[in-house]
Amino acid sequence: MPFPEETEAMIATWHGIKAPNRAGSVMAADLAATIRAFEAVRDHMAFEEEPASFVAALQETREQEIGE
Amino acid sequence: MSAPCDLGLVEAADAVAKRELTSAALLESCLARIDAVNPKLNAVIWQDREAAREAAAAADAALARGAKPGKLAGIPLAHKDMYYQAGHPCTCGSAIRRDFVPDYTCTVVERLAAAGAYSFAGLNMAEFAQNPTGHNRAFGHCHNPWGLERITGGSSSGSGAMVAAGGTFASLGSDTGGSIRLPAAACGVTGIKPTQSRVSRYGVMPLSFSLDNVGPLARSARDCARVLGVIAGHDPRDPTSAANPVPDYEAGLDGDLRGQRIGVPTNVLVPGAAPSVLAAFEAALEVLAARGAIIVRLALPLMDAVAAYGGILSRVEGGAIHAKWMRERAQDYSVHLSGRLYPGYGIPAVYYIESLSRRGAVLKAFAAEVFGQVDLIATPTIPTVLPTLAETDIDAAEAAGDPAETVARFLAVSVNTRPFNYLGLPTASAPCGLDANGLPVGLQLAGRPFAEARVLKVADAYQRDTDWHRRRPTALQ
Repeated sequence: MPFPEETEAMIATWHGIKAPNRAGSVMAADLAATIRAFEAVRDHMAFEEEPASFVAALQETREQEIGE
Repeated sequence: MSAPCDLGLVEAADAVAKRELTSAALLESCLARIDAVNPKLNAVIWQDREAAREAAAAADAALARGAKPGKLAGIPLAHKDMYYQAGHPCTCGSAIRRDFVPDYTCTVVERLAAAGAYSFAGLNMAEFAQNPTGHNRAFGHCHNPWGLERITGGSSSGSGAMVAAGGTFASLGSDTGGSIRLPAAACGVTGIKPTQSRVSRYGVMPLSFSLDNVGPLARSARDCARVLGVIAGHDPRDPTSAANPVPDYEAGLDGDLRGQRIGVPTNVLVPGAAPSVLAAFEAALEVLAARGAIIVRLALPLMDAVAAYGGILSRVEGGAIHAKWMRERAQDYSVHLSGRLYPGYGIPAVYYIESLSRRGAVLKAFAAEVFGQVDLIATPTIPTVLPTLAETDIDAAEAAGDPAETVARFLAVSVNTRPFNYLGLPTASAPCGLDANGLPVGLQLAGRPFAEARVLKVADAYQRDTDWHRRRPTALQ
């Protein structure tokens, strides 16, 4: 099955949602580009095992107050 | 002679505090301006003039009795219509929530009220804050005060338009992929998206939990500093809000840029910008350099990962929030919104978790490489000349049978703003010129986490030497 039809069938099966219009189908078909973009960066970084890693990173990289 | 509503927020608040102006005078001036311009702009969804006049009278009476004025004493404000205020409508710019009236008030509006401000209107916005242009099928499109056929930028469309037009001294916007910075840039005003977690989101309509931010649009960096100082800080009702102390943002506005290192990307976000946009941007860099800033050209790392992961988060979280309505009421959304939500349901959960999981590592690697070399990053906020409403109208293109090209133009509007949401960085936009069609161009400035003071300091220094933020919209003259 071509990618756009396969994607729309999967969405209908898993979520009970049909393509609302052609624009939706265009954007869903563009998920092929999302997969390519994901593949391009896949496995370049280790999986973060610790929870709240982004919150920790915000603090770790934050602007330091004078005297801090 | 300009009207009271043309004052900057800080000027107006200080004048009220000194009893040189009354809150009632400010309010009536704003209301008169709205009456004059809103038929052209369509920036206001609802108003409560009676309650506002009562609030203005109460503020003036309190000051007359000698009450200590707050930082926003007697300031009337109108916000993007997605901030819950008990007993007031909150349409979220949508047909689905046209009759929604919340029974509690969001933290940020409470904090503004504690500082002396009061709300008097709900402003037009992209439906559920989900587009970068300002199109709205439920309440009509918002129009740019610099060119009525042009987009205002979204999603805080009414906020950008009405701050520029003088109908409100500032406005709360929200920013998930550029929704404060885009209308600030397109309408010639100043706006700041704070660090992720800097401002409480309690009582604010969600779009994407990981990427949503609350922040102000106003006429200057100083005005934004005043508002941000009031609303920032930990909120027990929003456990995701940061406990970091809130600096005195205004106190840091000293105009001194000596030694500030401003990074200009050589690989993304700047190359390829429209010539007139690039000319305005480079001229802005010269102004910063003349004040002592050091311009550093550098490549930004990891931008492919930022784009890939960030797009996953916004689409999946937006889809999850709207899933019930997408099943039951899809026809009540505009075409561009239901179309944009739909792909979110096709993204595997593993992609979503990976995108969340890698966010901290990406930020740390990005910060180590970039903020080791520079203090701030500068780019144009919108890299293209500002498109027209017609050029980016997906609903109309759908009706005409071929929305693909319009979808591409629509999504291109926010290409320079989205990366900073995934990275969680504080990022502002300040007006820095006009494009080839005479529409405002924005200078985007991003700093490391919790560097709002530095971002505002640089924007304020730029505004000391330029008058782009004081120019009045041409389409209203």
